[in-house]
Amino acid sequence: MYTNNNKPHTPFHSTATICPFSDMSNVVVLDNGGGFIKAGHGGEREPSTVIPNCLYRPLSSKKFLHPSPTSAADDLTSAAIRRPIDRGYLINPDLQRDIWNHLFSSLLRISPSNSSLLLTEPLFTLPSIQRATDEIVFEDLGFKSLFVADSPKLVHLYEASRRPYGLVAKAQCSLVVDCGFSFTHAAPVFQNFTLNYGVKRIDLGGKALTNYLKELVSYRSVNVMDESFIMDDVKEKLCFVSLDVSRDLQVARRRGRDNLLRCTYVLPDGVTHTKGFVKDPDEAKRYLTMMNRNAQPYSDLNQGSDRPDYAEKLEERKKVDLTKTEFDLTNERFLVPEMIFHPADLGMNEAGLAECIVRAVNSCHPLLHPVLFESIILTGGSTLFPRFAERLEMELRPLVPDNYQVKITTQEDPILGVWRGGSLLASSPDFEAMCITKSEYEEMGSARCRKRFFH
Amino acid sequence: MEDDVSNPLRRMSSRTRKIAPKMAAALASSDNRTQATLARLEALENDNAGMETVEPIDDDEASLDDDDDGYVQKKQSKSTKRKTRQAKALENARKAPRNFLELLHEANLESLPPHVPSYGKAAVGPPSSTCRRHFCTVCGFASNYTCVRCGMRFCSIRCQVVHDDTRCLKFVT
Repeated sequence: MYTNNNKPHTPFHSTATICPFSDMSNVVVLDNGGGFIKAGHGGEREPSTVIPNCLYRPLSSKKFLHPSPTSAADDLTSAAIRRPIDRGYLINPDLQRDIWNHLFSSLLRISPSNSSLLLTEPLFTLPSIQRATDEIVFEDLGFKSLFVADSPKLVHLYEASRRPYGLVAKAQCSLVVDCGFSFTHAAPVFQNFTLNYGVKRIDLGGKALTNYLKELVSYRSVNVMDESFIMDDVKEKLCFVSLDVSRDLQVARRRGRDNLLRCTYVLPDGVTHTKGFVKDPDEAKRYLTMMNRNAQPYSDLNQGSDRPDYAEKLEERKKVDLTKTEFDLTNERFLVPEMIFHPADLGMNEAGLAECIVRAVNSCHPLLHPVLFESIILTGGSTLFPRFAERLEMELRPLVPDNYQVKITTQEDPILGVWRGGSLLASSPDFEAMCITKSEYEEMGSARCRKRFFH
Repeated sequence: MEDDVSNPLRRMSSRTRKIAPKMAAALASSDNRTQATLARLEALENDNAGMETVEPIDDDEASLDDDDDGYVQKKQSKSTKRKTRQAKALENARKAPRNFLELLHEANLESLPPHVPSYGKAAVGPPSSTCRRHFCTVCGFASNYTCVRCGMRFCSIRCQVVHDDTRCLKFVT
């Protein structure tokens, strides 16, 4: 069973019940992802700002700049990037301090000395990295207090609060699949705690997928190796998860208009448009007409393309516009996200997502298995590929014992799911009591403070 | 390949090369193909893949092509105490942020008792079935053939020609 949460917004009821906005002590909630920083004030529904967690240097500049939250203003063509995070973990604390400084002073406009910070940290963060983080938070920025949470727990909290009578809330347990920018985790959560012995990780995330797409396009058509931001956009707009790879490969091989998958992307030229765009959005959506493999044969679908206006449009599209740089995508559109399901195809010696979930569940207590399989929550930006959940269910079902149900829940906004959970936690009345304060940190040091978070 | 090694006069780049432990293992192994796949996977985690020559820290070098006269003047006056390239490279290496794999190596997670979950133990591990689909590296469709020299895949003569012309042995050095 596969459900989708894309219902009209239910009000953020749980904040209303938990937090009456009475003592609005300033809690800053910071979901510090490898790709994007999601930051805002605790208790709110939406983060105030979402910026890429990097500095970039456009061709026209000698210095690295801070990306603005409305990225429309920046010219990101061929920009070099510096990221503080590598493989999901903080490796460049100086750079991160820079970015946070900018974030708190110019974007959020808060003063750290009278605010608390709720920070997300990836699972299994190395002690040396934790120490570096604490140093930035307390010594450089001077926050009043700090709470560090891992993301699966926050996602669980958010989902449980969204549906107080759902299975996740009643059983107090769920399996959070976080497919983010740097890696993918399948993490069982029980009683609001992530069972870290059950967590399984695939070292593939949005960044690797973008780079893979870059590599394919650069080899096959235009060199886009230094266009990270543009290729991110291509990936988000054009890639999808195939429900039947061998069939889709056949479709992608066809010529002309029979090829339902071919799609053209126009690169920015820096003069008339600084953003790349999909040449024909209708064309990009044609693959949706191919339903499940057993739904209908293709012959019916091609009839539509015989209409004269369609043919005309096709002629127009065929003309190569020499003023624009563009490239076609066909099988790349689904072979790129395919890697999450079959990393072995890429030469990685790692199991795919479905197997990863099964292994994560199997490492928990047997009594939890049926409940975990029935409460799989998808979060993270890479789950936004169309049909991600359908494909996952298709692969997962044969691996799960018959008498267990499989139910996959998608979040309405997977990128912000963790942040919203954090916001919820920050607005709970006993949040302040869970934090470590600056004086405690000064007295005990990083390692002993961290014990409180059970890391 | 042998020529390069035997020629001691060949000028090497002074740019420091950082090698991840996994990569180092691959370089040590004689199997060119594993080496190539590991290098490729490493490249997928790279931020600025296309700009290997750009050194983010080295501002002097990056702005050499600046045709600002005053700047060039200043540069010349400074040139007496200009550091050697090697010294500079060493300094950069010290300043440069370390790779995650280096940090991981430093953390010495192997020393933890076996029941403690850690980064290494959370890895999902090899797939249960070893069968692997192969896609043509040139056009992306299912491929039946392997390049005898470098091990990359292709699906047809046409793709083989493209492969041989463009990137056979490119990842295997």
